[in-house]
Amino acid sequence: MILKYNIPKTAESKIILKEDERIYYAVPIDIDAEGKFTNDSYFVVTTSKICIIRGTDLKEYPIKDLEKASAEPGIGGGILTVQKDGSHHVLAHYSSKHLSRYAYIARGINILISGRFEEVISPEYEKMCPICGRAIPGTKACPKCSGQGGFLSVFIKMAKPYKKDFLGIFLVMVMVAVTTLLNPEIQKHLINDVLKKDGSMQAALVFLALMFTFSVAIVILNIIKSNASARLGSKIAADLRKQLFEKYQKLPLSFINDRRPGELINRIINDTRYISDFMADVFCNLFAIFFIFIWDVIFMMVLNLKLALLTFILVPFVSALMITFRKTMSRIFGLQYRKNDDVSSSLQDVISGMRVVKTYGKEKDESERFKSVAETFAVIQKKNERFWGMFDFLVGVLMGMGLVIVVYFGGMDVLGEEMTTGELYQFIAYTLLLFQYIGWMGRLPRELSRLTSSLERIYDVLAQDVQEEPETVHDIDIKGEIKFDHATFGYKSYRPVLEDINAVIKPGEMIGIVGASGAGKSTLINLMMRLYETDDGRILVDGVDMKDISRKSYHSQLGVVLQETFLFSGTIIDNIRFSKPDATVEEIIKAAKLANAHDFICALPDGYNTYVGEKGYTLSGGERQRIAIARAILPDPRILILDEATASLDTESEFMIQKALERLTRGKTTFAIAHRLSTLKNADRIMVIDDHRIAEFGTHKELLDNKGIYYNLFTAQTS
Amino acid sequence: MSDNTLNIYEQKAEEMTATHIIPTDAKFSATEGGFVSLDHNGKHYDRVRIVRLFPFTDADKYLSIREYEGSGKEIGIIEDLQAMPEETKKILKAQLTLCYFTPVISKIYSIKDEYGYAYFHVLTDKGECKFAINMGSNAVSKLSDTRLIIQDVDENRFEIRDTDALSQKEKRMLDLFM
Repeated sequence: MILKYNIPKTAESKIILKEDERIYYAVPIDIDAEGKFTNDSYFVVTTSKICIIRGTDLKEYPIKDLEKASAEPGIGGGILTVQKDGSHHVLAHYSSKHLSRYAYIARGINILISGRFEEVISPEYEKMCPICGRAIPGTKACPKCSGQGGFLSVFIKMAKPYKKDFLGIFLVMVMVAVTTLLNPEIQKHLINDVLKKDGSMQAALVFLALMFTFSVAIVILNIIKSNASARLGSKIAADLRKQLFEKYQKLPLSFINDRRPGELINRIINDTRYISDFMADVFCNLFAIFFIFIWDVIFMMVLNLKLALLTFILVPFVSALMITFRKTMSRIFGLQYRKNDDVSSSLQDVISGMRVVKTYGKEKDESERFKSVAETFAVIQKKNERFWGMFDFLVGVLMGMGLVIVVYFGGMDVLGEEMTTGELYQFIAYTLLLFQYIGWMGRLPRELSRLTSSLERIYDVLAQDVQEEPETVHDIDIKGEIKFDHATFGYKSYRPVLEDINAVIKPGEMIGIVGASGAGKSTLINLMMRLYETDDGRILVDGVDMKDISRKSYHSQLGVVLQETFLFSGTIIDNIRFSKPDATVEEIIKAAKLANAHDFICALPDGYNTYVGEKGYTLSGGERQRIAIARAILPDPRILILDEATASLDTESEFMIQKALERLTRGKTTFAIAHRLSTLKNADRIMVIDDHRIAEFGTHKELLDNKGIYYNLFTAQTS
Repeated sequence: MSDNTLNIYEQKAEEMTATHIIPTDAKFSATEGGFVSLDHNGKHYDRVRIVRLFPFTDADKYLSIREYEGSGKEIGIIEDLQAMPEETKKILKAQLTLCYFTPVISKIYSIKDEYGYAYFHVLTDKGECKFAINMGSNAVSKLSDTRLIIQDVDENRFEIRDTDALSQKEKRMLDLFM
């Protein structure tokens, strides 16, 4: 992301730099004092001052006078503020376009205030291409400006690995075209040479046999062509699906979180299906029809130029009609599609919220609401179908008119002996072919653009840069010392969730984490699980920066039990084994026993082979949780993370699981988040997170003596 | 001792549920740094936050005035900005402009869609503007049948107050998103 824009010379000349002073950051200020868009203002940070340029006006703030800078996000924008002489000052107001930029710059200013001269660099990608102004689909470079994108290039990208298959289909297409075009020629000879001239029976039979052979050949070739295209289509779709899925697994969680799950599923299911549909329905005819079309036109002109030109006059009318209708069509069918979405989402709303609807007695209101949504949809659909019907009819009439013209003028020519009957027959056959394919070609642009957008969406995912682990990472045997060193993190760069976390956790220590919801507890855990990486600062494991440890090695020594237990569809043993695929049955039973799960599993009719998951045996919350615990401890992890592991359970199950956990956490570095403080009585130390920071950190007794947040929480829960 | 803490919680619960109305004579003033300070009930606040409770339906009614420091506790609610004295109104309005930026679209020059993104060129109450939205995400949300909020790729929000007030041509361009 650009933090140093090229600002106009007139503005730049206003900034007077001292000898060793350099410009670090320069960003437009896009909102003026009245709250309106502006484009003549700039926010410039040099190594010793902040300059604000508004038109011809320049304001300077020496860095040494400032105490702190912060980028405060607002609604649809944000402000950059500094603290000076103990009071807050607004320096710039900007739209969301620059939100992240200013967050980085505020960080940069704070570094300068602290007397250091590091320059902050933003790893985020630009959302709009600074060159062509197009949106960048989550990729590093703009696909247009870097010479990718567009139908042809994405199609070639897709087709490249299947060169041979495409060549084969192309050859069959040429054969189809040749046979289709030759058939009317033979019919002409049959009429002219045999029927008109009293030719021999033998000649007639020869022509008939030829016609028959060609007809059969066309059918067979078409079958081969369609089959091959469809097969190739499913092959490409299957390969892309596989690639997409692999990519999803590799992409950082933030990519998945930024998108609706439906959208990601759609790309795998619908976009790839569209590609195979396209190959089967459109592509298989593509070249054949173009080939036929061109030769068709040439043959018509050779046969009878005057007549051909007369027919062609109609072509622009048909095409113009098609284009206007197509535009309207995509608009109104787009509308229908959206309304259809409305219907299904409102249906989903009501059905998943049925309990609430029923308890408040709102069945009738909901029916009314749904009825109105469904009715709007029905009205639009009706209108669209009528339009579609009209369209077909109009095109039919136009084509019919063309044929009438051909027959009338052609007939005149035949009577005037300028043309033979056979030629007229041949000409009519070509005219029919022409109109047939105009209709087909009218559909083509829409299909091509649909294919292009499907492909672009797929390649948008495939082109996402996955940060590969650098070569320098290595495996370590974790002992369990964790050190947070100025760790700062936010899901969005401009909204930090954890700020400046510093703590050292000894190997084997159990740390209880408490704090209000939204304070950042789960985020801290997410960082420990390496689902995200710190924006600033480091997390050290046994003195090694977490980023230098290979993911595989780290995750194999980490056990996690979350509040929401996720069991995959499969048997219990599959689910436990998930964390260590090569575990022996003995190990699994031992883990299950440690997790207090063995006994209830034995009581199930299918034992460890019980099928659980979406369509399987329904386990209670406590049972699922115990399976999750067994899964977590199976690889004998060095670091154990328990995020409200027992919060959703009844008291008895909670007690049992706590018992199980007590045995497990011994000797392992453990982080346990809990709302109920009683579950943390074994914790060596308690970390209280408040307002994105560690507010208190110490043993239970220390914190009670401290009479702070923990003391208040504890007394409130125990009295 | 624990009685004492319990009392603290009682007090907190009391505070949490109480609603204070800020009277029209509350002393708001503009600070040198461009913010708003408040003297209320014998307390001085260097800087207060102003939050619209109904930003779409009643932008100038029910403004929550909150502390800037700490967890941002509510000081009180202004029921109607219009009822406040001229001076206060001006100060608060200026502050709201700083915190809320949702341009209202009054004219659509063009909408071009290309590969999953739609490019808007519009006139808003904050000036002319070009922006892009992602057609794959829920960029356009409906507040009512005729009122839209459009979120661009940068997460800026644009509002169309009444689609019926647009020309036939503009409406047709918008149809794709309705």
